[in-house]
Amino acid sequence: MKIRAVQFSPRLGDLQANRDEHEIRIQRAREAGCDLVVFPELSLTGYQLQDIVFDVCLHHGDETFSWLEKLSRDIDILVGAPLEEPAGIIHNCALYFSAGKLRHCHRKVQLPNFGMFEERMLYAAGEEFRTFPVKEFTVGLLICREILFPVNAWLYHLQYADLVIGISNSPFRGLGREGFSSFALWENMGYVHSVFYHQNYLFVNRTGFEDGIGFGGGSFFAPAGKGIQERAPYLDEAEFDVDVDAEAVRRARLSGNYRRDERLHVIRRELERICHD
Amino acid sequence: MIELDYTQVEAVLVRFIRDFVHKNGFENAILGVSGGLDSAVALSLTSRALGPQHTRALFMPYRLSSPHSLAHAQALCEKLQIEGKTVEITPMVDAYLKAHPTDNSVQVGNLCARTRMTVLFDHSERYRALVIGTSNKSEILIGYSTIFGDSAAACLPLGDLYKTQVFGLAAHLDIPAQIRDKPPSADLWDQQTDEGEIGLTYRELDQILYHRVEERLRVDEVAARGHVRETVLRVEEMITRSQFKRVMPPVAKLQNRAVGIDFRYLRDWKR
Repeated sequence: MKIRAVQFSPRLGDLQANRDEHEIRIQRAREAGCDLVVFPELSLTGYQLQDIVFDVCLHHGDETFSWLEKLSRDIDILVGAPLEEPAGIIHNCALYFSAGKLRHCHRKVQLPNFGMFEERMLYAAGEEFRTFPVKEFTVGLLICREILFPVNAWLYHLQYADLVIGISNSPFRGLGREGFSSFALWENMGYVHSVFYHQNYLFVNRTGFEDGIGFGGGSFFAPAGKGIQERAPYLDEAEFDVDVDAEAVRRARLSGNYRRDERLHVIRRELERICHD
Repeated sequence: MIELDYTQVEAVLVRFIRDFVHKNGFENAILGVSGGLDSAVALSLTSRALGPQHTRALFMPYRLSSPHSLAHAQALCEKLQIEGKTVEITPMVDAYLKAHPTDNSVQVGNLCARTRMTVLFDHSERYRALVIGTSNKSEILIGYSTIFGDSAAACLPLGDLYKTQVFGLAAHLDIPAQIRDKPPSADLWDQQTDEGEIGLTYRELDQILYHRVEERLRVDEVAARGHVRETVLRVEEMITRSQFKRVMPPVAKLQNRAVGIDFRYLRDWKR
């Protein structure tokens, strides 16, 4: 499967401008023969939505929704957007469109709510990490802070996910002598997905600024078992294509099979004990 | 004090300035350039972001300003190939002081800062150029600025850098030694220095600020790292007393959605 990763800067709260930008980039990916084009978290709206969220959130069957369905007839599309469903309940979602319809909606479970983040003021929390099939792949989606909880990668690992896509709006922060510490967060987790859970892992982050907050880019692809092999530049917009190989997972498992050696009954028993205690 | 990767700092701040100016519909930026460190660094970054042809410098000396300051500012602009213009503020400030005399140097300093702000924003309109501010994190945190004066700007690219880090960035940007080597000064009277007025060296002030603000250490923990407890408390007092300078004036809430309280939108809304 050939995937186009789009690292770009959405315009805050300007749905039409962002739709135009998506359409240009989707068309370009289509012409390049890609099977799937991936945009960052909240790609259709921008990140720090505050009160804007009520004006730009998507709804099943609305015009933007239909537009995405139509665009996805001959190429799969993964976008980020707030989705209102039911009325008054908004989730921060990763929406996977394929063959002219919504194939999968992942609702962000861990909503950051500290320092510069206030997602719990805007969004309801999702409840599950469910895989879905795409071609020969079992796919799992993660949104930004979810990536930093290794147990989420593990949940997909248990479901035999062989392609995990993390979309993000990560602000760079923690500058020191060695640059921004935030970049390492995502790359370290990419290594975990790839090397310990034998997942093909694609991370797509945005760039640009919203007021003083800047987003770091640095999107990357880590094929199963190999660690990070391709990475877009930090800070600047970029697009890159990856050819994802389903066989990479099998090859990785043959050289050290973490999935086979899981002991779920032990973990379940221990979880019950810990919860009970 | 933590040293920074100044290559990365430059990369971010250049993009920040370019993005901010362009998304607000401008091609040009304008800065008040004093001959001191902060405005030199901000000018250099702006020039790298927009090009020298889109960067304007205003020199706004008062009769008590050091002639060296103007000379340093002009030399910097020559080096950076930036067009500079001198607007003396003496006639404006002294006309006011003649009508309303004072011996209070704080009043004179504030009057100069606000007169410069007026001239700067007038030239913002003349040149269709956004005003780039030069405030650093140390002075923002302790309130060492004139509200609606030198703190007035469209954006503050140096606002998350402590003064000692601005020195580091200045060296990285190759700001001339004559600007980097002189003691920081608001240049309001002869022999005035920031450190003399604040009563602390920037080195010590920044260490205390860094421990309290970045590392969230308790007062006693900061003192245990080699600072006099009373000094730490004095810095603490400077931070809390100047909070009004760091926020918009509060709106008295009466209805459901008061501006700034529950009518919440970023400045970059649809930009």
